[in-house]
Amino acid sequence: MDKVWLKGPWGQGEPIEVDATPDVLTKLMVLGYSQCEAPPKPQEATKHVSD
Amino acid sequence: MSATRLQELQICFGFGKQTDIATANLVAAMWRLNKLNAQLVNPKLNTENDAAEYGKGHEFATQQFLTSWDTAGTLEKYLAAEIGAWAMCFGLGKVVKSGTTPNFTYTCTPLMPSAGDATELPYFSFVEQIRPGANKVLDRMMVGCAVEGWTITLGSGPGRANSKIQIDLVGSGKYTEPSGITMPASTTEKLLPSASMTLSVNGVDYVSNKNIVSLETSWKNNIRLDQGFFPGSDFQTSGDGTTGAIRGRLEFGNRVGTLKFVARYDKNSTELTKLKAQTTGTAVIGLSYDANNSLQLTWQKMAFATVELGETDQFVTASVEATPIYDATNGLLTAVAKCGVDAICA
Repeated sequence: MDKVWLKGPWGQGEPIEVDATPDVLTKLMVLGYSQCEAPPKPQEATKHVSD
Repeated sequence: MSATRLQELQICFGFGKQTDIATANLVAAMWRLNKLNAQLVNPKLNTENDAAEYGKGHEFATQQFLTSWDTAGTLEKYLAAEIGAWAMCFGLGKVVKSGTTPNFTYTCTPLMPSAGDATELPYFSFVEQIRPGANKVLDRMMVGCAVEGWTITLGSGPGRANSKIQIDLVGSGKYTEPSGITMPASTTEKLLPSASMTLSVNGVDYVSNKNIVSLETSWKNNIRLDQGFFPGSDFQTSGDGTTGAIRGRLEFGNRVGTLKFVARYDKNSTELTKLKAQTTGTAVIGLSYDANNSLQLTWQKMAFATVELGETDQFVTASVEATPIYDATNGLLTAVAKCGVDAICA
């Protein structure tokens, strides 16, 4: 199943990842959601080990 | 004596969208396609003169002024997956792309400004060339064009002409000559013949009951052309007020969708009953070349507005016009276009 990222109406809110089916997309597009890039993955915290 | 025949005309236009109305497509985002109609997308210069002004001593013009530019044209084509996807993306304006080569899927809906969408449609550049180069007859690029509307017609019969699309386009008036574009190689198109059609309207499968005769569905953006000229919308030569004003925006007006079809009518037909009851339902039109190239249009809710009985080839037929109705959940129209071309309207 293809997935796409959408941002909320007026460009607000956190992007959401949804199934790229017409039924799912139509309802969200009507609400004002539009396609966006996938958000960058959060970087893992680096553990520093002191000597 | 030399002459130029119009068969030499080559066109290409942006499958990708321009970054803004005044910035032309690069050739990498343009494709070359054939078309059926001879009409050119002429830039039209509008002029005014001073005939009506007082102080000259007579009623005749002494000067003429370049005031503004128009661009308009029509593209008629056999309906194919690629042009179908393009017309839906640029004509409706809201696009979500999914999939990977060779199966890209473009899900398109009309823009909804009340939900935060733009009031301007995506823009593209349109190039016309006849013998570009040293022996040029024609070589120009209209910049900042938008889709005014599209009409898909599907008929009965064996030929390609039974599945066509007409796309009307308008432009900002800005153009460059010569275009500076090297015509790309022709795009191979995957035709969507009427024989592939699936059709379900208001709960009736008109293909399985073998009753459908013809169908036409359309979308019109009613672009507000005059509002494109606003203070600061600029000129054909930027900053030169003697070269004629161009549009700085092309906003859609009150948009209209239509669905009409003709179907054979018999004792089991329900069109008149549904007209009187104002029964609402969906209308789903499907066309396909193969699994990777298709077009499906879903009018999310509609009711029959008129049903007239008549005759087609000696059979009793019902000619139906439906009114698309906005559905609170699913909106008005969803187009799902599949083809092998990436980055349409991107």
